[in-house]
Amino acid sequence: MTESKPLLQVGIDLGTSRSSISASNGQRHVVESYVGWPLDMVARKVLKKPVLIGQEALDNRSMLDLHRPLEQGLIKDNSEKDEAAVRELLWHLLSLVGVARDTRNGMKVRAVVGVPAEALRVNKQNVRKAMHDAVDSLMIVSEPFAVAYGLEALLHTMVIDLGAGTTDFCVMNGRLPTDEDQRTLTQAGDWIDEQLSRLTRERFPDARFSIHMVRAWKEEASFVGNSRAPVVVTVPVNGKPTQIDITQEMRQACEALLPPIVESMFDLLSRVQPEYQEKVRNNIIVSGGTGLIRGLGPRLEQELAAVGGGKVKVVKDPVFVGSDGGLSIALDAPDSDWEKLTG
Amino acid sequence: MEGSRTLVSVMPPSKPNVDRLKRRLLRDLVQQNVDLIHGLARRPLRPRRPPYLRLAGALALVLLSTALIGSTRLLSTLAASPAPPPPPASQALAASRDPSPLATLSSLAPLAPPPRGSRSPAVAADLPAPPAPPLDPAVLPLAVRRVALDAGHGGDSHGAQTPLGLLEKDLTLDIARRLRLLLEERHRFDVVMTRRDDNGISLAERAAIANRAGADIFVSVHVNWIEDRAARGVETYYLGPTNDPYLSRLAARENRDSGYSMADMRQLLDGIYAGVRQDKSRHLAEMVQGALFRSLGRVNPRIEDRGVKSAPFLVLLSTRMPAILAEVSCLSNAEEARLLARPLYRQYIAEALAGGLEAYASAARGVAAGNGS
Repeated sequence: MTESKPLLQVGIDLGTSRSSISASNGQRHVVESYVGWPLDMVARKVLKKPVLIGQEALDNRSMLDLHRPLEQGLIKDNSEKDEAAVRELLWHLLSLVGVARDTRNGMKVRAVVGVPAEALRVNKQNVRKAMHDAVDSLMIVSEPFAVAYGLEALLHTMVIDLGAGTTDFCVMNGRLPTDEDQRTLTQAGDWIDEQLSRLTRERFPDARFSIHMVRAWKEEASFVGNSRAPVVVTVPVNGKPTQIDITQEMRQACEALLPPIVESMFDLLSRVQPEYQEKVRNNIIVSGGTGLIRGLGPRLEQELAAVGGGKVKVVKDPVFVGSDGGLSIALDAPDSDWEKLTG
Repeated sequence: MEGSRTLVSVMPPSKPNVDRLKRRLLRDLVQQNVDLIHGLARRPLRPRRPPYLRLAGALALVLLSTALIGSTRLLSTLAASPAPPPPPASQALAASRDPSPLATLSSLAPLAPPPRGSRSPAVAADLPAPPAPPLDPAVLPLAVRRVALDAGHGGDSHGAQTPLGLLEKDLTLDIARRLRLLLEERHRFDVVMTRRDDNGISLAERAAIANRAGADIFVSVHVNWIEDRAARGVETYYLGPTNDPYLSRLAARENRDSGYSMADMRQLLDGIYAGVRQDKSRHLAEMVQGALFRSLGRVNPRIEDRGVKSAPFLVLLSTRMPAILAEVSCLSNAEEARLLARPLYRQYIAEALAGGLEAYASAARGVAAGNGS
């Protein structure tokens, strides 16, 4: 029998931008969701690795066939390379918490993986396929549900999980959220990057910058409302390092996210049973990396004033809140349930 | 401002209650995953009611079922002849003389009162509602006036492309522009374009444009790319899946022990309409596919009829009107690629699409006329 195998439970938040893992052995790690293979023999010689993952891949991207295998929180379709990249990413995450590739160190691994709220069946099947060899048992949950579960915000709560690829909404009514309780928007962190890049390029047509630089600017200085300080970045203009002020562009790009978020928030609120709407309005939780846009919580509260007011709380540790929630689920699910999810 | 950036410690329910809640959520979550493994459709998740409520709900269910069935019979009756008197449950409805079938359906809700003395109107929302009876799309004879045209891809999304640089996004835009002219000038439709030039636009935005415009039908124009380069022809999609006999059995099983509440009535009716929309979408796809195959066959004799198919295209999922996605040729096939490069062939495609849409609209008008509206 294999019952004596040591057991490891993990929660994984497979994100478009970053992926995190929380394990029952106490380890938590986050990696950039990038996977790259050396472009040629020379690159292989220089890099000395068959595949690079995370920040290392990003840093050496000029020598790599670089893939960001998740798009809007899902494995890109019809690309074997992206499927392979997801597998590499998953194995890398598992290796970070002590699971050796192929042998798994003789451990039995149970994983809970978060996917966007409105992921289609085929998307979930793709995740199952990618995870097939890596774990013994797998449970797939909607990301905002994992967040809500981890925070024990299970009743009369709305979770807005702002990631890079998607913004996921979920109203917790004390039951497993149905399609009616959840929404997914594709306007999220990456979308802000695109807006910011476009706006900056329009105003500074001679400036040279990449989307990676734009992402870094956003992570450093995103805000809605009033700026605390000018957002000034350095970029090459006609080959010369030049400081440009992108405060206005940053505000405009970040605030462009507000209308779809507010609309979805109101739409979901209106579907809550009337007697519970006030409770839900006063228990709105914003999670995810993009949720750290400065001033977002208060701004959403301002918008809620139109429907009677409410409270928005922003999770301070957005990087692990999804994977921690997944781990909580993995730990709470009884063995008998896990047995049903083997294979 | 920054005070809001505090970690949440949520919330009121006591620890035993939270634990109980978690156990129930986990049970449902595991079941959902088991269903996923076995390829089953998602189950509707509703809290189960106490037996006395389910009994009371059953009464409401019977009454509502009677009312709904009565309504569809009444509509059929009205369509056939004004002579026979309406059944009693529908008399109020008949008196209203409301010609709109949708208004008719919603006006039925008051015919099923909640059990007396047990619930206030707000709480009556907990009572189970009836399983939706099958609804003949013919009872919703809605005219087609506004067409949303969606030229596939655009901007950075090139779609399929040939080594010589023929891009799907350019072809679809050209065909959509030609089609727009035909529909507006020849067939007198209002036309809404999801994109008018080489703009990148998300699928959600495309659907939102059509929804906001109140389009009656949605047509997404695409050009196919098939690995087998010898393959060629046209195919048309509508939102599926409907070919899965399992879904019918599952729906029957789930409806038998439904925990739906009265508050879900609106959603149930929406669901009925969604079914109608799918039927109409399939019908629209059949009309367009037939027109494409017949018309293009005159100038492209080796064209293949690849059929009408259902598939979960997101752009079809998000639209609220009958919607199709037409793959009007195969760019992967060298001969069809050459044809697509010719403006005249693209005009033929636009003409064929216009013919299919007009045929569908005429059929809808015919149904409306037959219903005496």
